[in-house]
Amino acid sequence: MTELKTVGKSIERVDIKAKVLGTAVYAADIKLPGMLHGKIVRCFEHAHAKVVHLDLSAAAAVPGVVKVLGPKDVTSKTYNQSVIDLMASKTEGAMLGDIEEQHIFTEHVKFWGDGIAGIIAVSEEVAERAAKLVRVEYEPLPVYITPEESGHPEAVQFTPHKPGNRAFQLPEEMFPGNALGWGDVDKAFEEADLVIEDTFYTPKQKQCQMEPNSYVALYDDSNRLNCWTSGQMPKLVHEKIARLFDLPMSRVTIHQTVVGGGFGARLGMVLEPEICAMALAVPGRPVKIQQPREEDWLTSPSRHPARYWMKIGFRKDGTPLAVDAKSVNFKGGYYLDGSALASTTGFWLQGMYKFENLRYKGESYFTNQPVCGAFRGYGNPQTNFVLEQMIERACVQLDLDPLEWRRKWHKETGDMSWLNATPYTSCALNDCLDRGAEVIGWAQKRKKYANQTGPKRRGIGVAVGNHTSGAFPMILEHTTCTVRLNEDASATVLVACSDMGQGAHTSLTQIAAETLGWPIEDVRLETGDSDANGFDIGAHASRTLYVGGAAIMKACQDARGQLLDRAARILKVNRDELDIDNKTIFVEGEPERSVSAVDICRTGIYNFIDHATGLPEGELGQIQAYVSYKPDQNSPPFFATFVELEVDTETGEVELLELVSSHDIGKAIHPAICEGQMEGGAQQGLGMVLTEEMYFDERGFAINNSFTDYKMLGASDMPKMTSILVENGDPYGPFGAKSVGEAGVVTPVGATANAIYQATGIQFTQGPITPEKILHEIRKRGLTYD
Amino acid sequence: MSSRVLTDFDLLLPGSLEEALEILDRERGAVTVLSGGTDLLVMMKAGFEADKVMSLALLGDLNRLEFDSATGLRIGARTTLAQLVDSPEVRQHYPALWQSARIFATPQLRNTATVVGNLLRGSPAGDCSAAVAALGGTLVMATAGGGRREIDIDDLWVSYGVTARADNELAVELRLPAPDSGTASAFKRLTRVNEDLAKLNVAVCLQMDGDTCKSARFAMGCVAPTMIRLPAAEAIVQGAKVDDETLARAAEAVQQDISPIDDKRSTAEYRRSVAGVYLKRAVQQACGFA
Ligand SMILES: Cc1cc2nc3c(=O)[nH]c(=O)nc-3n(C[C@H](O)[C@H](O)[C@H](O)COP(=O)(O)OP(=O)(O)OC[C@H]3O[C@@H](n4cnc5c(N)ncnc54)[C@H](O)[C@@H]3O)c2cc1C
Repeated sequence: MTELKTVGKSIERVDIKAKVLGTAVYAADIKLPGMLHGKIVRCFEHAHAKVVHLDLSAAAAVPGVVKVLGPKDVTSKTYNQSVIDLMASKTEGAMLGDIEEQHIFTEHVKFWGDGIAGIIAVSEEVAERAAKLVRVEYEPLPVYITPEESGHPEAVQFTPHKPGNRAFQLPEEMFPGNALGWGDVDKAFEEADLVIEDTFYTPKQKQCQMEPNSYVALYDDSNRLNCWTSGQMPKLVHEKIARLFDLPMSRVTIHQTVVGGGFGARLGMVLEPEICAMALAVPGRPVKIQQPREEDWLTSPSRHPARYWMKIGFRKDGTPLAVDAKSVNFKGGYYLDGSALASTTGFWLQGMYKFENLRYKGESYFTNQPVCGAFRGYGNPQTNFVLEQMIERACVQLDLDPLEWRRKWHKETGDMSWLNATPYTSCALNDCLDRGAEVIGWAQKRKKYANQTGPKRRGIGVAVGNHTSGAFPMILEHTTCTVRLNEDASATVLVACSDMGQGAHTSLTQIAAETLGWPIEDVRLETGDSDANGFDIGAHASRTLYVGGAAIMKACQDARGQLLDRAARILKVNRDELDIDNKTIFVEGEPERSVSAVDICRTGIYNFIDHATGLPEGELGQIQAYVSYKPDQNSPPFFATFVELEVDTETGEVELLELVSSHDIGKAIHPAICEGQMEGGAQQGLGMVLTEEMYFDERGFAINNSFTDYKMLGASDMPKMTSILVENGDPYGPFGAKSVGEAGVVTPVGATANAIYQATGIQFTQGPITPEKILHEIRKRGLTYD
Repeated sequence: MSSRVLTDFDLLLPGSLEEALEILDRERGAVTVLSGGTDLLVMMKAGFEADKVMSLALLGDLNRLEFDSATGLRIGARTTLAQLVDSPEVRQHYPALWQSARIFATPQLRNTATVVGNLLRGSPAGDCSAAVAALGGTLVMATAGGGRREIDIDDLWVSYGVTARADNELAVELRLPAPDSGTASAFKRLTRVNEDLAKLNVAVCLQMDGDTCKSARFAMGCVAPTMIRLPAAEAIVQGAKVDDETLARAAEAVQQDISPIDDKRSTAEYRRSVAGVYLKRAVQQACGFA
């Protein structure tokens, strides 16, 4: 391969200046002439109730209120705010049991904060004042927090489509016995020398993206519905909104504003249905909703809390004979991507180790809590918390080195990957383990911490994982891209891929520039306009660089090819004899036989007649290339994390000392961005395992839906961190790259739990592992390693 | 549920102390004092309705921070946490107070929040409040017409969020006693993450004569409706040699002084489990054998 010019370099991010200077335009910054303000009236009296009577008259009478909207004043069509259902075929969707049961304003309140009405007013203040005057009579219903409660035969049904309030279980038609896996698990347990079993709980964690939810919508004078939103999947939202309001897609435009973080919270729709319904109610006038942060905790989907049972059988030598597992998640009030999470949680399990027999069941039950949906890792950190602790326990009981065990039993290139449908395309996990272990000093520390005295005990833990690059072949993968060469040969790349702050637009620009052979300044990505951009799924499943990048690469190769074809005709050589440097196309080995790319592009557009010959000066046509790209691989990246920490056994406090993550990236297109993903992921993973959880009182009211009481780790809480990029190249990814977006969150979870285990001799099955839980267990059991 | 919109209120901006005191006298309970606003604005966003808010922003001479080795420390009503952190005298002579200011919130907050505001919020979690309760001192209250009274810190907190301040009074100054050569103090707290309100905090101040403690003031937060002293623990340490055995007994005795509950930040069980440990560690830190 020729030497790379921009790929592999940490160039200045394309969006950095505007973000640092504060000039980047987020949805909250948008102010349009004559703009009105919308407020969603939410139920804060109950977490489960029927609206018996809704009286909006006092609210409507407030001066400055333009319109009040109840359930009957907006479309009666139902919808599903997630977009995952669009990614399965009709038949598959039916088998999975996907449903659309949400109303813009509900008459059956299913969680504390569910929206029941809307107010449109001249100011936010007036809207808020009016909202307080809405009179509602409720019929309170029993509140269900756990699957046992909502699954009880006499429980109130959340939707007629889901008997017993079971939102999902692995469908029999696709997974016989409602289970995935292989072999005969029960028989294998009989042969096992060691069988361990436990039930875990993983918490309801919130993404806490930096940008709060803001939306603007306008039904304009040409009868088009415009919506400004920072959703991470604008094209699918485009279709959903058009469907919901019975408009052709040509009469709906989604303007994607700068996205201030997503992590899954903006996967699909959040308040797009509400804001569009409001805009349609006041044609010609823009409406804006700016939601207080506290309401974001309630209205955008969180991670699914889940109970996770697992049983593993081993031979004395550590051979993993069988794993049997079941995860039951708490869905919240609505279905959303109900079929997905309970499935993927098991996929990550079947993708990790060479279990001879495997059985996994996944279920999901409605509960009276805010909705759950996508969150970075999508079931993977949950599985990591459980599986990696179970492996650790087995290694202790079998007296095996946990690092060696993992090295020996993890899946490899050629083994079946997470969906059990395609093989792993490449795997550098052993390199990840070797390099990480060396940087943190695993062997020495592990030994040293095996014998400690005194109130402060240290521990070091390791965990491994893998993820995916795109959702193929589980659900739809598709990105379209159009590349246009301008008059001066600079390139405009039209693509709908989202930059949520992860840096995708920079890396994608690098791929385009590298492929074309142009400097980075001569390439511009045109994104965020649902009219201009063709189809792209959006940002999820760690797909943007791998799928979007490959689509861009293919389109740029095509454009470059067209340019070379024209040059070949001018220079009267074969196309493959040509090379490009500095926008000059020349015959290889004969640099003086050349033609300028700028001349070709310009002549294609300013196509004048040569008066001497009477013929055109060159070939007519602006060079454009288009691809519709579907990948046929998903090149999973592997990764390992080591965590060293100290537990204060008198207070249960955990001090994080060091974290080393190594990642089998294939090829880092922009190393600094990759490291940023790993570090940011570590912050969320550490939060999930140590401090972060949304909790509720017995009425189902949220207790800590604010940054005052929902605690993420801050900069000063973070340990010293090292991110190692292992670049062995993948045969399929663009320039050999695999994903890094979600991966970083996964293994800090298991590694931290395992480090606490080494320090205290206690495994904590209920996340997050707070000082309260640690101290409670230490007082109850003593330090078992003493 | 917080709102993005504050309810309507009149902002009063007196230009002198006299004017401020007259406003308080005239309005009585109808006006709320705004100092740094880091507590008050949060409360207003969460629905606390203050019709009239009187800001101390223009009362420049209230931000003094003066140390005199004979008379002690004078902290003005507008003196910020950042001023304390920057003061070498506070650091040297009042380690408990300095430590409580240093770990307090974030740089932005420290530039705005005041020590006196922390006391008058009347929260059992106030970090400076714990330090001041241990160091001892008085809060100077002013009223219109030149009235002055000093409230002993031990008498300031009446119940959760309620102080002994009368509604026509403005706190103008906090006075802390001068330390002598045997004074040792320290502050410690436990939080969920570093930038957080305390789930338990403790401050201690001991007058030492060699290894022996002549007198002690211990204060603990988040273990009762108000910041409290720990009389049972103090009694054990006073007059005793401060060693492991004394500290173990003092740590035991804390259980009699506290009545913690479960709340958003922690549990009663946990607070009971760590209260003694933290008292012990604070004393060790104060006496330099941490
Ligand atoms: C993000 C954040 C982090 C925080 N972290 C911490 C922390 O780590 N530790 C901690 O202890 N606290 C913390 N707090 C709480 C708060 O910052 C402190 O209590 C602060 O000291 C209050 O001071 P202030 O000047 O802002 O008070 P204000 O909000 O202005 O006033 C507080 C109360 O005192 C009254 N008051 C103030 N001054 C006077 C006066 N001179 N006379 C009469 N009444 C008066 C006011 O009327 C009000 O009732 C935090 C707050 C926030 C928002």
